[in-house]
Amino acid sequence: MRDEDEFVAFARGSRDRLRRTAYLMCGDWERAADHVQEALIRVYVAWPRLTRAGREYAYARKAVVSVVLDHTRRRSSTELVVEADPQRPADLDVAELVSARATLMQVMTALPPRQRACVVLRYFDDLSVAETAKALGCSEGTVKSQTARALDRLRSMFDDSSLGELTLGAGTW
Amino acid sequence: MVNDMRALLHEAAANPPADDLDLAAVLRSGRRRVRRHRVRVGAGTALAVAGAVAVTALVGSTDSGRDTPAASSVPRPDGPVIGLADAGQAHQGVDYELVAQHANEDLDVANGQYYDGVTDDGLILFRDGPRGTRNKVRLALLDPATGDWQRLPGLAEKEQTWPLELGRERLALASIAYDDTEPFGGTLRAHVFDRTARAWTTVTWPGLPRVSGSRSPVIGTDGRIYVGVPATQGSPPPGGWPTGPDGEADDAGAEGETYDLWSVSLADSADVRDEGLRYGALAFTDDAMVWSETTNGTNDRIHVRDLQTGAQHDFDPRSGERCNLLGLGASGDRIVLSQYCGTYRDGRDDRVQILTTGGDPVTTIQGDGIDGAVVGELVEVTSHMPKREGTYVYDLADDRLLRVTDSLSSYALGGPVPDGYLMWHTAYGERQDPMRGGGAVQTLARWTS
Repeated sequence: MRDEDEFVAFARGSRDRLRRTAYLMCGDWERAADHVQEALIRVYVAWPRLTRAGREYAYARKAVVSVVLDHTRRRSSTELVVEADPQRPADLDVAELVSARATLMQVMTALPPRQRACVVLRYFDDLSVAETAKALGCSEGTVKSQTARALDRLRSMFDDSSLGELTLGAGTW
Repeated sequence: MVNDMRALLHEAAANPPADDLDLAAVLRSGRRRVRRHRVRVGAGTALAVAGAVAVTALVGSTDSGRDTPAASSVPRPDGPVIGLADAGQAHQGVDYELVAQHANEDLDVANGQYYDGVTDDGLILFRDGPRGTRNKVRLALLDPATGDWQRLPGLAEKEQTWPLELGRERLALASIAYDDTEPFGGTLRAHVFDRTARAWTTVTWPGLPRVSGSRSPVIGTDGRIYVGVPATQGSPPPGGWPTGPDGEADDAGAEGETYDLWSVSLADSADVRDEGLRYGALAFTDDAMVWSETTNGTNDRIHVRDLQTGAQHDFDPRSGERCNLLGLGASGDRIVLSQYCGTYRDGRDDRVQILTTGGDPVTTIQGDGIDGAVVGELVEVTSHMPKREGTYVYDLADDRLLRVTDSLSSYALGGPVPDGYLMWHTAYGERQDPMRGGGAVQTLARWTS
């Protein structure tokens, strides 16, 4: 038996965040939950060496990325899944906000999987280029070029719409 | 208007639906994969769904007086001992002849096609899948000499199957139907393919209790299926197993588990027999039934029953005090025990102990990350040691150990083969990402030396 209590505590504490990352990468909450479940199984297998190294969450996030990308490769069609968010914050312009979100998610879903992963890891998970490269198992140069291509596409979609400019906001690093 | 992408991403993911993540399922699947990584699985299990027995463990001084591996080195077993460094090199054309080979370039991307065994008349049971949401599997018999195919009619089975018998007249595959009440046990089913009529028949046995999903049923010399019904299970010490020097939990010297032996007829769903025998692991030779007292823990008794006369004897195999019995095989007058005996500062103590059916020691193959399984008159030894990774063959007839390959795939592939054949698998290409399994090449060979 492993120290399952620690693993369970980690899984309970991290699954929500992991599911959000997975959702932004795949565009579907149900599939995101499946991806997180598979990723957590991989984390369980690697758990003893992860806890020694203190890198549980980074490994779990990398596992999510890997599972989502693997799944994307397996799918034979490019299904577009965009969910309208039923929960509406009361103090914002709902129509514009939902429209901007929906547009972003729609364009995100149409991006090549690794470009999408770069955007999510860099601007949702706030990873640096180096950390993103580690999570994706590629070079920093690849992260930069993939991110730049994704941003070009996202910006052009927003520029061509009535939604206005898309900015990157402030990062935390 | 300015749209902040970070804010939009966070808002898009801000209101997830209720989380129905099944943590219990994560734990169940995780445990199974850990076991699969550490133990040689039974014949016919394959890709990502293999089931086997647990290898959990113990390190550190304990009340029971077990030794303290973290402060010591791998001990030497009693009797003759050889290591993988003693192996000679097997050569194609000298020690074996290549019969067939099949490569799956990337099994992370999609499921593939596999050799699941070889029939008594030399045809390969070839499997495609499972694929799709319905886990559809397609089976065929492939003649490696001509390349001719015989596709088999569809088999309506969603669960994993593994071959019990690949005969000239019939093929028999087993599966276990699980339900939520008992994740590691279920209802045994057998699917019998009549090779003349080219039709499948599925047999279940209403009188058979739920069987263990971690102990593969075996076919006896009388053609009956012998299967274990869980009886007793060892428990970890309070606080769980300590972590060994390799970072893995270490349960060497664990209390084993037992099963009650039942048998059923492939021809009659009412023919169910409680054999009145509690055991750990079971194997048959042509004329003997061999079983251990316990399995997946320490075992100090091996029993041998002569199937002609009914005469029975037993002996202490004198395995190490901390050796967990993980696999048992038998061939002719040889018994083979695959064991995990603890983790030490200088590595794991894994042993493949070979004895006569009278209990006399023949030799013990000792290594870090090895396991062994009987294939006809050979013992196929699999090594996960980085510098000695690969498949080795110990020939029970002449006590030679030969290295056949220098790599292993990440998957549990293969199945039963007739005497004289050997099947192994190697990695396809270079493995770039340790998180991914990559591809696999299966090789079927005829052992000639």
